[in-house]
Amino acid sequence: MRWYVARRLLWAIVATFVILSITWALLYVTEQQALTSIQFQAAVSGGDAEAARAAYEQQRGLDRPLWRQYTDYMTNMATFNWGYSTSRGQPVTAAIADALPYTMMYSVPWTILTVALGLSIGLYSATHQYSRFDYAATFVAFFGYAIPNFWFGIVLLVVFGVHLDMVPIVFDPDAPVFSLANARQLVLPVFVLTTGSIASLTRYTRAEALEYVEATFTKTAKAKGVSERRILLLHVLRPAAVPLSTILVADLLGLFIASSYLVEVVFGIPGLGQLSFKAIQNQDTPLVLATTLVGVFIAVIGNLLQDVAYTVLDPRIDYGDR
Amino acid sequence: MSTDTPRRRFEDIDWEANHGIAVGRQTAGFLTTLAALAVVFAFDYVREAPLFSPNPLFRDGWDLTQLDWLFVVSLSLFVFYVLVPLATHRRMTAHYWREFRKNRAAVVSLWFLIVVFTLGLVGPLIVSKPQVALTQSYQPPVGLSVDSTVPLSCVGDVVGGRCHGNWQFPLGTTGDGKDILSLVVLGMRVSIRIGLITSFLIISIGATVGTVAAYVGGLVDEVLMRYVDIQQVFPSFLLYLLLIYLFGGSLLMFILVFGLFSWGGTARLVRSAALQRSEDEYVEVARCAGAGTAHVIRRHILPNVSGTVITNLTLLIPGLILFEAGLAFLSLGDPTIPSWGQTIAAGRSDLRTAWWISTVPGVFLFLTILAFNFVGDALRDALDPRSEVE
Repeated sequence: MRWYVARRLLWAIVATFVILSITWALLYVTEQQALTSIQFQAAVSGGDAEAARAAYEQQRGLDRPLWRQYTDYMTNMATFNWGYSTSRGQPVTAAIADALPYTMMYSVPWTILTVALGLSIGLYSATHQYSRFDYAATFVAFFGYAIPNFWFGIVLLVVFGVHLDMVPIVFDPDAPVFSLANARQLVLPVFVLTTGSIASLTRYTRAEALEYVEATFTKTAKAKGVSERRILLLHVLRPAAVPLSTILVADLLGLFIASSYLVEVVFGIPGLGQLSFKAIQNQDTPLVLATTLVGVFIAVIGNLLQDVAYTVLDPRIDYGDR
Repeated sequence: MSTDTPRRRFEDIDWEANHGIAVGRQTAGFLTTLAALAVVFAFDYVREAPLFSPNPLFRDGWDLTQLDWLFVVSLSLFVFYVLVPLATHRRMTAHYWREFRKNRAAVVSLWFLIVVFTLGLVGPLIVSKPQVALTQSYQPPVGLSVDSTVPLSCVGDVVGGRCHGNWQFPLGTTGDGKDILSLVVLGMRVSIRIGLITSFLIISIGATVGTVAAYVGGLVDEVLMRYVDIQQVFPSFLLYLLLIYLFGGSLLMFILVFGLFSWGGTARLVRSAALQRSEDEYVEVARCAGAGTAHVIRRHILPNVSGTVITNLTLLIPGLILFEAGLAFLSLGDPTIPSWGQTIAAGRSDLRTAWWISTVPGVFLFLTILAFNFVGDALRDALDPRSEVE
């Protein structure tokens, strides 16, 4: 198992390496395009195309040999020397460090709520299959999944912010982290995100748990007089947790990255998503690159953790030949 | 959805053909259509679209793009591999329908999706491109009224200081006077394009990679699945952001990025299903009878995993439609094509006074995604009784 985890770790590094190489290639292609257009413009306006090209290459460091450009890029990435954001007037890493706490502020309660509610509703639905609660939970799950997050966010903001005046409309980034004001302005984003993500977890938990609710070992435990809670936690949730861990990471991660953009823009939270979004609008290449890569790194780490969790949760799996 | 023909007898089968490339009637029909399309495309391309530019079929200003060509190819694939088999195997179809009908919500959803599909398909024929007309701004939908100070001038009747909706704009108009009904219909066009073309890409790549990996195995399997690993790690959403930043956004780019990079899950699913199937007796028998790898994959493995794939797809498509709407909402989508997300974004600042602008496309988006989920759920029960809910 240790060998398996080590190989997974190695694989994550290889994947990161490949992804960085691809982004470098993409950047290289666009810079070549920009170069051609600069040469073209210089030629049209009667200037010297060759001089314009040389000046641009000098400025962007494109006059270095291709291999040097690649290794320099990779070294910069590895040493967190991610460049300078012109639109924000600060190093890219500093901009990300500024934005990260705001993203954490809503994503931590969101993750906790989704996991806690998703698991408990799913388990309850499984043990009370076809009850009124089960139908209601299914309905809520479908509803939450199908309603577009960003539209739901705007509507809630109008209803609770404008008409009922219960939450502030404009996000105040200076509010202390653990204060009532901060909690009030984070309620809606967390609510919207949770309704969106709880669906798949509830559905999967219900389906996985159903397999074990009727299993022979559960019946044996019941016959022996084991308490309901113990059965639920040790005989149903424990085996169901193995497939659920995969779904949890894969589903939540994808959702998290995309929703962070939408929710932060809708609610005006100055987190990573908005940073990246504004960087795209302001044509701030180093910042766009860095913020998207942060997302990719989160995904890589999430997938790694998922694989490790799998080995910890399921001792039956044989890793000999993987 | 099994395409095995039960009525074929031993002597009917051309055993010699199994080693070559046997082309069924469906495939022949599809290839013929594809060839015809290629000829028309070449003609259109070489003469730089004189065939279609003053096109008599579409109303003002619609032109055929690469997207339309891709769409037509996907549509013909859909017709030949979904509709034709359903029509020829009546008994199977009736059986599926009986199973499907048990889920009442799914039946309603299916009708809704058919309506959306039809409207999206013939949309350009019945509605014209929405024009900016400031004098018609903020008209409420039929049956609703709004304070008459909100619109610049009321198209419908003004009763007691309230502007009532008029049938000229059944769903009202936006802040710059665009007809919401035509925006909604054109949004359906975007949604079915995403749905069909990405399914086409995902099915063809995912099913091929999955079956090949499972059946050939060894190094090929290892390489393909490690590639899928990397692809699954790289979120398509971020790749799309990076690409639109570097090269500019378009719907074609969206469809290509999400179609070409989100088949990983399908490939894994098909691989594991195919691995199970290839252990089955009928595959053993076929192999013993001397059937080649290609034949076994095509005749025995693919038909048997198609149910899994289709179900998986009906749950994947709504996610993509939602993605597109979200990106269009952030104005990171295609600015030239009217989509639901765009309209929601347009009405965002007017929610207090003219709530219908964002709400109408929002409701359509909601219903479409809901319908896909219900249909997917029922299809899983009907087509794929083997698989438990994953």
